[in-house]
Amino acid sequence: MNFPVLFKRLLALFACAGMLTFTSARSFAAEHAPAAPAHGETVAAAHDGAAHAEATAHHGHAETKEPTFLEAALYSYLTAYMFCLSIVVGAFFLIHLHYLFDAGWSVPIRRINEQLAGLMPFMGALSLPILVFGPSIYPWMSIDPATDHALDVKKILFNRPTFIGVIIGSFVLWSFMALRFRSMSIAQDKDGAAKWTHKARFQAAWGIYALAFSLTVTVFLLMKSLQHQFFSTMYGVYYFAGSMWVTLATVYGIMRILSHRELNGVISKQTIHYVGTLFFAFTVFYAYIHFSQYFLIWNAAIPEETFWYVKREAGSWWEVGLLILFGHFIAPFVILLRIDTKMNMLVMGPMIAWAWLMHYVDMTFNVMPVLYPNGLHLTLLDPLCWFGMAGFLGFIFWKNFKTAAAFPLKDPRLKEAITHHEVPAPGAAASHH
Amino acid sequence: MSANAKTYGLLAQFDTAAGIFEAAIQVRDAGYRKWDVFTPFPIHGMDDAMGLKNSKVGYFTFCGGFTGFFSGMTMIWFMNKFDYGLVVGGKPLFTPLFAFPVSYELTILLGAFATLGGMLALNRLPKLYNPLFKSERFKKATDDKFFICIEATDPKFAEARAVLEKAGAAAIELVED
Repeated sequence: MNFPVLFKRLLALFACAGMLTFTSARSFAAEHAPAAPAHGETVAAAHDGAAHAEATAHHGHAETKEPTFLEAALYSYLTAYMFCLSIVVGAFFLIHLHYLFDAGWSVPIRRINEQLAGLMPFMGALSLPILVFGPSIYPWMSIDPATDHALDVKKILFNRPTFIGVIIGSFVLWSFMALRFRSMSIAQDKDGAAKWTHKARFQAAWGIYALAFSLTVTVFLLMKSLQHQFFSTMYGVYYFAGSMWVTLATVYGIMRILSHRELNGVISKQTIHYVGTLFFAFTVFYAYIHFSQYFLIWNAAIPEETFWYVKREAGSWWEVGLLILFGHFIAPFVILLRIDTKMNMLVMGPMIAWAWLMHYVDMTFNVMPVLYPNGLHLTLLDPLCWFGMAGFLGFIFWKNFKTAAAFPLKDPRLKEAITHHEVPAPGAAASHH
Repeated sequence: MSANAKTYGLLAQFDTAAGIFEAAIQVRDAGYRKWDVFTPFPIHGMDDAMGLKNSKVGYFTFCGGFTGFFSGMTMIWFMNKFDYGLVVGGKPLFTPLFAFPVSYELTILLGAFATLGGMLALNRLPKLYNPLFKSERFKKATDDKFFICIEATDPKFAEARAVLEKAGAAAIELVED
């Protein structure tokens, strides 16, 4: 291996390691450092009875009143939106991984990822109701920072122009990057030139940093800021870990279905095994991240942080939390431990549906307790929003998928991915000689 | 070679990675059980070409990890609650929450030990002597030649030479113990 290649691979490794550890490393400092000023706020508020009452009321704006239809609809919409964004962002990240590690095995599934990530402009468009009706979703948008210390210290991020700017900025950036990945890949279908791979690799090298930072901030604003008092710099990587999990389940399912159709003969046993293994890896990684967030907060036991989980232990939210522990981690972990189950569609088919359900439950666990503090509250709006959004995006995905080749036709590493490990079946050798 | 030497096996040399790959498939399909392939570098797909099943090391790993996890939990429960109850930071005397990081680390540690130990045991390592070391030709296995050795204890050893010749061996020699 010559030096530039080694350097690039090292850079890729550092970038990925950085993406995964940066937020968790920072979280340790951040979850301890802000405690002092936040404590100050509690003391100051205790001196001022009126301010204290108001601050408490703002912890969850729906605690005292029934949610209006608009609020209920917007919260269902936000839950479905965060679910769909997970898959689009996860596929987008898988493209980065592919190029950064100069991977061969993931060439056959790259077009699936490119087309999923290609939904980014639509995700941007679908964020419009959240931008427009923000004040009906996010309590902090209707609070004067002067009356709320937690908001006052975070107002540099939590203000409407920044909110709108960051979300529009993120989607413009991600759409540009995702569509460029896809168009370069499709251009390679025609000429097979290695320059497209090199260009994409360069974009992935800076893109992974851009994605790590912008995704963290975007998720802070879209989901974490529902309770603006909360501290967890781990929140971005928490959303990322769950997103990768559900994305790998989705990609696995699409790959297996298409392996009898458009991808016939392209998906090797090894590719199936590797996607299954990554899915298993992210089962563990999600649990690791979510446990770490919970454990740091539990161990420090600072009210400014614990309230987030205390609220999610009220009523039936406690059972929902247990469902995440057992359904999102323990059951899939045990089931996916063996190699043969990761390859078996009779196990993986239900597993994919389960992963979708569990990720939706996870999103509900994050979003809904703000509106329904007494426990899980499902309305018809939830499936309506989910099926509507997922159906719409699925339709666009399939429409786009059919306009280009189902896999990168002339990728330099395609042959390697297909025939790399191919071994003739017993008896086949005789025909060679 | 001493006078009372007994046959260890047949050693066949191949000159290319593709050659030995095809040869391994033929030896596999001929139904041999006690044989091995020696190459200077790993050849992708050789496991399947040799008809090797998935490694059993995973079972060792699982048992090691399982032991680690539960010994971690038990240790902390015993120390912190049962044997010498001690309140730390106003937390309960025992909860899986604070026992988890330690149990998790022990899962990994004992899992790794079991993996290494299981691998060595299954490979019957360390092994200080192998009759193949007597072959001058075999030294090339760490350089640029590829070898298949069919051991004499295999029930089909009688036809081994014919199979290896048909598979395109560049040279075949008898190795004695």
